[in-house]
Amino acid sequence: MLSHLFYGLAKVLRPDIFLLLLLGVWGGIAIGSLPGLTATMGVALLLPVTFGMEPEAGMLLLLGIYIGAIYGGSVSAILLRTPGTPAAAATAMDGFEMAKRGEAGKALGISTTASFIGGIVSTLMLITISPILAKIALKFSAPEYFALAIFGLSIISSISGKSPLKGIIVGVFGLLVSTIGMDPMTSYPRFTFGNVNLLNGFSFIPVMIGLFGLAQALYNVEESEQAVKIQQKVEGVLSALSEIKRILGTAVRSAVMGTFIGIIPGAGADIAAFVSYNEAKRWSKHPEKFGTGIPEGIAAPEAGNNGVTGGAMIPLLTLGIPGDAVTAILLGALMIQGLQPGPLLFKEHGELVYTIFSGLLVGNVLMLISGLLGIRLFIKVLSVPKNILTPLIFVLCIVGSYAMNNSFFDVGVMLASGVIGYIFMKLDFPASPIILALILGPMAESNLRRSLIMSGGNYSIFFTRPISAFLLTLALITFITPFLKDFIKRKNLGN
Amino acid sequence: MKKFGVLAVLLLFTFSILAGCQSQGGKEAKVNFPEKAIEIIVPYAAGGGTDAVARALADAAKDSFSKPIAVVNKTGGGGAVGMAEGAKAKADGHTVTMVTVELVTLPNMGLAPFTYNDFKPIIQVNADPSALTVKADAPWKTAEEFLNYAKANPGKVKVGNSGAGAIWHLAAAAIEDKTGAKFNHVPFDGAAPAVTALLGGHIDAVTVSPAEVASHVKSGQLKILAVASEKRLEQFPDVPTFKELGIDVVVGTWRGLAVPKDTPDEIVSILYDGFKKAAEKDSFKEFMKNAGLGLEVKDGKEFLERMKNDNELFAKLINSLGLAKK
Repeated sequence: MLSHLFYGLAKVLRPDIFLLLLLGVWGGIAIGSLPGLTATMGVALLLPVTFGMEPEAGMLLLLGIYIGAIYGGSVSAILLRTPGTPAAAATAMDGFEMAKRGEAGKALGISTTASFIGGIVSTLMLITISPILAKIALKFSAPEYFALAIFGLSIISSISGKSPLKGIIVGVFGLLVSTIGMDPMTSYPRFTFGNVNLLNGFSFIPVMIGLFGLAQALYNVEESEQAVKIQQKVEGVLSALSEIKRILGTAVRSAVMGTFIGIIPGAGADIAAFVSYNEAKRWSKHPEKFGTGIPEGIAAPEAGNNGVTGGAMIPLLTLGIPGDAVTAILLGALMIQGLQPGPLLFKEHGELVYTIFSGLLVGNVLMLISGLLGIRLFIKVLSVPKNILTPLIFVLCIVGSYAMNNSFFDVGVMLASGVIGYIFMKLDFPASPIILALILGPMAESNLRRSLIMSGGNYSIFFTRPISAFLLTLALITFITPFLKDFIKRKNLGN
Repeated sequence: MKKFGVLAVLLLFTFSILAGCQSQGGKEAKVNFPEKAIEIIVPYAAGGGTDAVARALADAAKDSFSKPIAVVNKTGGGGAVGMAEGAKAKADGHTVTMVTVELVTLPNMGLAPFTYNDFKPIIQVNADPSALTVKADAPWKTAEEFLNYAKANPGKVKVGNSGAGAIWHLAAAAIEDKTGAKFNHVPFDGAAPAVTALLGGHIDAVTVSPAEVASHVKSGQLKILAVASEKRLEQFPDVPTFKELGIDVVVGTWRGLAVPKDTPDEIVSILYDGFKKAAEKDSFKEFMKNAGLGLEVKDGKEFLERMKNDNELFAKLINSLGLAKK
């Protein structure tokens, strides 16, 4: 196997291919950090460019974008509280808090290092044990997806900061919004008022851009009067390196979790980031500090979402089943080159497979170096006066929400979400639960009903299947823990 | 008060950008066509199958026209948003829509503000039949055995499709309709999750396109029992058609280009000539073959015929499935 890997490495280091990979990573970071341009979209946009290239070159360009974009989302999440990609929404929680303290450099350093750890750990798992792991992808069916979605939703109570109740109110609101659009099982339109734009429900990206980006920009308008300028410390890289020891455990754990979530088809980087954040908080010695801008709060989601990159490649390469939306496009890219991913790919095109492995390793290293070197550059954004930066964010929000589907309707959705997000900020309601509800609500609903179709209406299907039963139990524990802690604390105080 | 002033200015600024986005110019149609870039509306997301066909075709057609061709994705409503916009576009031939079989399924479900009569077809470039596929180690060796089992155990056999009312759901319904079998239809969010569920043994069969199961059939995990096309497929010459088995089911998806119905015939014929040349290019044929898509080039008249037939077929099936919203 090692000799194959060296062959792949030699191929990746060929100047033209290396350059494409580097361009991919840089392009990915740029795409990822711009709100509205997601990893999926970046890969889809560059797909036609690869048609004319040799398979290795094309694949590495796309993989570079994938890695870069998943990481890049954290840059704007940390600096502007505008997650560039849904996967970075969880990073905004602690990342922006840390940046507000003048430690944006440190926050970026942590997110870069953690992303690197996530990418490398998942790639190593891909290279060494993918045939074993790939079987997990087939174990997941409707009941397991339903249980996973419920587990994801149960996180709401613990990511809601001071008031879990407010988080649940917001989460339920998000779930209600997620029922808009065609019924997943009968295609009957619900709450669409005859508007075709609503048939598929609210697009999730414009809502996210509005809730985070626009809301923050509106908030800035208010603040710009006072013009408090935060002095950013510049020793970012060094202080981040000193944090490595502190975050290493969290990052590796999150990376492994991200890899597993990546393997499951239909669950991608966004879910991985939230789950990793929640688990880091669960196992932390000081869970109450999450949300205040601590290193673990950045490292967990970033290692988790980049862990998905290697994980999602596992079922793609071994079974021909894409692990997330990006790998679905990569599947198309391989097929157009005349390559069929699946068990035969290793036998018939072993060199390509090992070039992809090496490309992922090298790509992650390039991302680490570019990210660390870029910190000084990225931070410059914050030295732009707020009365110039804020209008720029407005423009970015509009362009980003339009670009997703070339839809003007989406711009309206973004503006409305922005106003709602602003009100939430004012009333101290957390915004993340809506994002979770919009991602997981439809997943929970359609898989609940799909399971019941499969079982003939028998609810025992959720409890007799081990993975589903386990996840549902975990969900229950996750959901009640914050309330339980609250209760115990109050009781102790009373005594 | 000053705060609101700043806010007002920002909002004004915002809306002026919005206004800028909306304005679109357009000139009167003349016989010299094209006068400006031709835009192909793809009603599905970038990176998907329809998008790939449109981009490959646009690429092959770039020498056919004096002006460039741009592909624009207008997604939403399962294709309804993009096709509605294409139907309403200026009838001067500069806005062409990549129409798909949803053009005749969505209106029958009451989910779209258009019908196939709002379009004038230019050319059809692709057609893929439904392929009844089961696990390789399934107890059924032939389509007859499968269908006999399904008839003997009504509602037991779980057949996965790509979404309620989507073409592969209707394909399974067409098989039921012609054989008297009764399936338990399980809708998924697209064909890929349905195939994954079949691989995992969570359902018994799928009725998606051959391309969507091809890699798993070649690796020996799945087997195709029959295809719902007129002729056997080049890729799977041993798989019989339903017609050969005495079951008259020809159902599947198709893709092609269309313009709004009032577009002058001279312009339609210029577009047809240009895209026909593109569809016959080796590069396009190669692309379709690699992507596992069935190349089926037909002129506007034949394309319209197919739309008409499918429209009748699907109207009936959608009603029998209780999917029509009226």
